[in-house]
Amino acid sequence: MHDGKRARGMKGTARNLLIHLAVIAAAFVCVYPLLRMFSVSLRPGDKLFSADLSLIPAGASFRAYSDLLRDTMFLRWLWNSLVITTATSFMGVSLASTAAYAFSRFRFPGRRSGMLLLLASQMIPAGMLILPLFLMIMKMGLMNTYLGMIIAYSVSSLPFSIWILKGYYDTIPRSLEEAALVDGTSRVGAFWRVVLPLSTPALSIAFLFNFTAAWNEYLVARVVLFSAKQYTWTLGLFELQGQYITQWGMFAAGSMLVTLPVLAVFLYSSKWLISGLTLGGIKG
Amino acid sequence: MPETLGSLGEVAWFVLLVAAGTAALEGYLYFHLRLFGRKWFLPVSLILFPALAVLACAPALGGQAAARLWPWFLAAEAAASAASRYLVKGRHYLPFMLLAPAFVGLALLLVYPFVFQAYLSFHDLKLSTVLMWKNTGRLPFAGITQYVKVFTTSPLSEVSFWALLVRTFVWTFTNVALHVAGGFVLALLLNNAIRFKGFYRTLLVVPWAMPQVVAVLAMRGEFHSQHGFINILLSRLADASPLLERLGVGPVQWLTDHPLLTCTLINVWLGIPFMMVVILGGLQSISSSYYDAAEIDGASYLQKLRYITIPLVKPVLMPAVTLGTVWTFNNINVIYLVTGQSGGTEQADILVSAIYKAAFTYNRYSYAAAFAMVVFAMLFAISAFYLRVFDAAKDER
Repeated sequence: MHDGKRARGMKGTARNLLIHLAVIAAAFVCVYPLLRMFSVSLRPGDKLFSADLSLIPAGASFRAYSDLLRDTMFLRWLWNSLVITTATSFMGVSLASTAAYAFSRFRFPGRRSGMLLLLASQMIPAGMLILPLFLMIMKMGLMNTYLGMIIAYSVSSLPFSIWILKGYYDTIPRSLEEAALVDGTSRVGAFWRVVLPLSTPALSIAFLFNFTAAWNEYLVARVVLFSAKQYTWTLGLFELQGQYITQWGMFAAGSMLVTLPVLAVFLYSSKWLISGLTLGGIKG
Repeated sequence: MPETLGSLGEVAWFVLLVAAGTAALEGYLYFHLRLFGRKWFLPVSLILFPALAVLACAPALGGQAAARLWPWFLAAEAAASAASRYLVKGRHYLPFMLLAPAFVGLALLLVYPFVFQAYLSFHDLKLSTVLMWKNTGRLPFAGITQYVKVFTTSPLSEVSFWALLVRTFVWTFTNVALHVAGGFVLALLLNNAIRFKGFYRTLLVVPWAMPQVVAVLAMRGEFHSQHGFINILLSRLADASPLLERLGVGPVQWLTDHPLLTCTLINVWLGIPFMMVVILGGLQSISSSYYDAAEIDGASYLQKLRYITIPLVKPVLMPAVTLGTVWTFNNINVIYLVTGQSGGTEQADILVSAIYKAAFTYNRYSYAAAFAMVVFAMLFAISAFYLRVFDAAKDER
């Protein structure tokens, strides 16, 4: 009996070791490009293209970072992205918060088809609507402006936001609103003062989702914005990396600056995002 | 910085405008859904709303043209008022008022563009007619010629529709299969009682968590023939061992010789973490009692995998596979970012990226619209098939 257990323990350790090795190898593959980007961003200008694979290169400096901030419009690009993204997320979440409440609490004709419509709209690939949106924006004379971008982005994450918010509202007990109704508030008052404050986590996740979707968008920005001053950071980085390979260091520096906050926010919120994704998927 | 502040003001003004529009919409609905019973309801709404509509259109169309629309507004308003007074009678007013802004937004920016795209596909909008369209709004009618062109000519300069179609299916299948396989293996590994599990999980989702543009551009740099680490690694391997060198290991011209393979490798790297996370969630929800029972019956590891794990993960996996298929099928981002700039290759293009390039590199707008409609019909068929097979949409709550 004892021997059996020990043998099993030995086998278990060996197995665990193998698992650790496999997972570490996979994790290395996942993280290595990021580490390498960090390393490239620290390279001194004359060693940009060395075949060096060490993490901290010889003669490491933050030159690329200071060059990036001084010689390019990187800060301006970040600012453009920030303005466009904040405005879209704000509008998207406001629209979604009330619509989701209607789906969560009321039974009305067209409810089922409305929700199916939302789901179907997720099947329309965003990429296929870029052309008509682009032409609409051109016709309205909003090319190369913040407004054009905001209009193009504002509803793209709406269906998804409605889905996650509805899922969250469903978990809030109705008795809370009923208590508020008994106390004399209106339905709208109950929504505003009871349900919305309780939904802060879901609202922030929806906001975050809207925000990251617009923040990382590239294809619409590519066709709507054409002067470097109006670029979002995605366009700016593409320009740095695409046209001149000599700016690799600056590209890497810019990438690090953009990636680290996004990574932090994502890791912080990933549990929520994933539950939202699977919720939307399963209940769909 | 005054210029920046100027555009900020513009944005603030726009947000206010949207808020005002929403308020107007809600006011209109409130009037029709709550005050429909008042004696003055019909006369007031029949006078007020058509007049307001004319006023609202005046700045855009000019006073004369707006005034000419008045009878139409009146007719529409008469229908709306009558419907709300005698048909709807204020039923379900609250959900409809709550839904209205979102659905108007979707109608304007999702449904209308779609309809507009369908309209474009039957007309002829290209670089030479776009200025005329912009100024007059008129377009030459083209019937189904654009659709004929989709199937008979090449969207870009070299590849044909059929080549793109085959490539798209190969691309989608390979990617999704590798995502699921890779995700499954990693999830199974992580689902053991090992130390640092949370830490590993964090590291493993990095490709998904990075901004996609950065991830793809960075990987593209790493596939560079001289400076990317992949070729550096390969040439070091070749230097270190002559045997490997004789077997053909050495630097590869990734971006020029094997663009599709490069895109696939990058996309597999990007997509595995999502599948891993979804599958891991499914694995963790399986009660260990199933495994205990199987253990007692003497089931082998593979049997447990086949008869417990896979069937129980399936309900979580199937929606993710559906999503993943649609995402991969539509993945313009990876392919465009890798091959998109001037002089980029067409050998990696799939249907959607060809549409994007046809529209915005070659300015063949109507052709691209027709192409998009065709692809949309295909996607619709695929999605319907998935939904039917896996019945993912049955549980409506």
